[in-house]
Amino acid sequence: MLAEERRQRLLAAMREAGIGYMALYGNAWQGDYLRYGADFGILEGHGIALISAGGDVELFLDSAVEAERAELEAPLVRVHFAADIVRAVGVRLDGVANDRTAAAPRRLLPHWLTDAARSFKLADATALLDKLLMHKSAGEIAAVRRAARIADEAYGEFRRAVRPGRRQFEIVADIEAHLRRRGCPDNFMIIGSGGKDVFGMTPPSARQIAAGDLVTTELTPAVEGYFAQICRTLVVGSASAAQRRAFGVFVEALEAGIAAVRPGARAADVARAENDVFRKHGLGEYTTSQWTRVRGHGMGLFADSKPHILEDVTTVLEPGMALIVHPNTYHPEVGYIVLGDAVVVTELGAEVLCQTPRELFEVAA
Amino acid sequence: MRRGLIARSFVELPDAVFDARLDRVRTAMQGAHFDALVIYTNNTRPAGVSWLVGFVPYWSEALLVVPREGAPYLVVALSFRVKSWIERTSRIGEVVHTPRIGLKAAQRIAATRPDAAVGIVDFDGLPAGIADDLREGGPGLALRDASALFAVLRAKADPAEIALAVRAAMIAHQALIAARGDTLNAMIAGVESEARRLAAEEIYIAAAPDLERESRLMRVEGEAALGKTFALRATVAYKGTWVRLVRCVCQHSIAQEAAARLAQAVASLPSDRGFSGFRSWLVEGARMAQPLDPLIGSRLNAAKPPPPGALVSVQGMLMIDGRTVLVGAPALIGQSGETASLIVDPLFD
Repeated sequence: MLAEERRQRLLAAMREAGIGYMALYGNAWQGDYLRYGADFGILEGHGIALISAGGDVELFLDSAVEAERAELEAPLVRVHFAADIVRAVGVRLDGVANDRTAAAPRRLLPHWLTDAARSFKLADATALLDKLLMHKSAGEIAAVRRAARIADEAYGEFRRAVRPGRRQFEIVADIEAHLRRRGCPDNFMIIGSGGKDVFGMTPPSARQIAAGDLVTTELTPAVEGYFAQICRTLVVGSASAAQRRAFGVFVEALEAGIAAVRPGARAADVARAENDVFRKHGLGEYTTSQWTRVRGHGMGLFADSKPHILEDVTTVLEPGMALIVHPNTYHPEVGYIVLGDAVVVTELGAEVLCQTPRELFEVAA
Repeated sequence: MRRGLIARSFVELPDAVFDARLDRVRTAMQGAHFDALVIYTNNTRPAGVSWLVGFVPYWSEALLVVPREGAPYLVVALSFRVKSWIERTSRIGEVVHTPRIGLKAAQRIAATRPDAAVGIVDFDGLPAGIADDLREGGPGLALRDASALFAVLRAKADPAEIALAVRAAMIAHQALIAARGDTLNAMIAGVESEARRLAAEEIYIAAAPDLERESRLMRVEGEAALGKTFALRATVAYKGTWVRLVRCVCQHSIAQEAAARLAQAVASLPSDRGFSGFRSWLVEGARMAQPLDPLIGSRLNAAKPPPPGALVSVQGMLMIDGRTVLVGAPALIGQSGETASLIVDPLFD
């Protein structure tokens, strides 16, 4: 149902823009544009969906196993396995070169397809798709909401999994197994553990959890392709006074950021609200790109969607957008701390989806 | 998005392994008169760069630049904060951070020689934004496709890669043994957990929950009803090397026969004559950047047979005693005069 709803919205947008054929590119890193039009969550290789203004959807995949999977998982789509996907899509587009053709995200499309020598010219429709991806329907928000519930449960599992002596990748194994048991097929997750020597989160290493560690994670399970994120930090043992003091700044910043989420506000306003708290505490340096990437971001068919919450992003927030607000950064006294909640922009402001308390959790040392 | 262990092992991948691979690449570059070779990587297409320097991006994208002389360098879109992680997990001397990796890579190459001949692996498939930036950053550079040059080198496995593939295959085997429980999701959770505990860099699990109804494999969301016979496929990555292994839960004698027929078919590779009794079949392996590129199979029109010494993953569907059976395992193609062989037993007790 969600797939059909998205397809109709896409077709309406194409009609309005006068686009006859739309090429949507996807891979396992950035699969949201492809999923929007073809309802296929790609894992391996390249995928390109061609959507006609008449509503036909063809999906080209260069992995044979992915093509087989797509035939089952996206039954309304005509699937083509093409080991040379670039030429196969090129031949198909040659046949519609007289129509107005466009692509999203054009910058990720195999460059052969955008070469000036082709018979077709693919206009850049990334902004058109971004708008569709950001402004979600009630059904899409419901999927994000379900994913947020799963994220809360998974964080509970994370707290149980963290014990001294365990290695980071063993903890992630527990969380992924928990999610598969719940029938959740996808998750984006990074982790950090230690003290002042830790400057961010990465995929798990073999580092062992030790007493006194701050253990950070960003958990992002997906439901029907829609991701929702939670960020929390815990301490192994009893939190020190410095850790509690530092964490208090993050709670204050998160609350300020969420309070700034309302229709008409800009992404920059949310980032500024978070960062002002750090500046007030003399920690303004730690809101810069040297220490932190973004102060939150959109959520949906991609775990790291637009808009990015940064002080120079002017995207206006509107009802139906889903975001994570996370003032994650390094704190010079204790190390890297994360704290973030998934929210939905409503007419009244932010509806917080995460129910896990904003605590600096403690687990047995 | 990688979620498994990414860590460099100086035992499994000592410097000498990477040095030998780079030497082979540089020799080929000289023959092709390339001043630099550029290889793109993201988490879908990591197999070229990870083979040369061990770097696997869990997120985002990067270009590896191999100058004809001097150390290779990595131009990454990941932020500066993960520089130390990149340095810890790969063998790379210099990491350059920039959101426009094509622009910076071209500027660096052009600074040495504005009209340098630059070979690009899988040039046709390079993201358009990066290709545009390469042209902008080095308008005098001669950009040429280097796919054929690289594929010849990449496709043949060296002893280090064979050892990694055996390890990946053992992880997959043990993980599939851990498929226990009353429900398909419980089994999938068991496989996932075991593979990641055994240090898999990544695992993808696909299932055919009821082979009497459907033989194609899918990713399960929610719960699926199990039939009397079903199959699970584990696609496992270990330190940049990927394999697929299939477990078919069916009558043991049928599974035994399927395994034997797979081994027999594999023995004839790179010829496809051994697969004549299969309903469908597929052989995949690394050629350039995609870890498991389709090479030959029942659905492929234009075949790219694996060369001697290549690591491949083979899977197929058979009908035995009227039952549908899926079978699959990684294999090593023999050198001239040698027979190809499975590297792990596709049978599960």
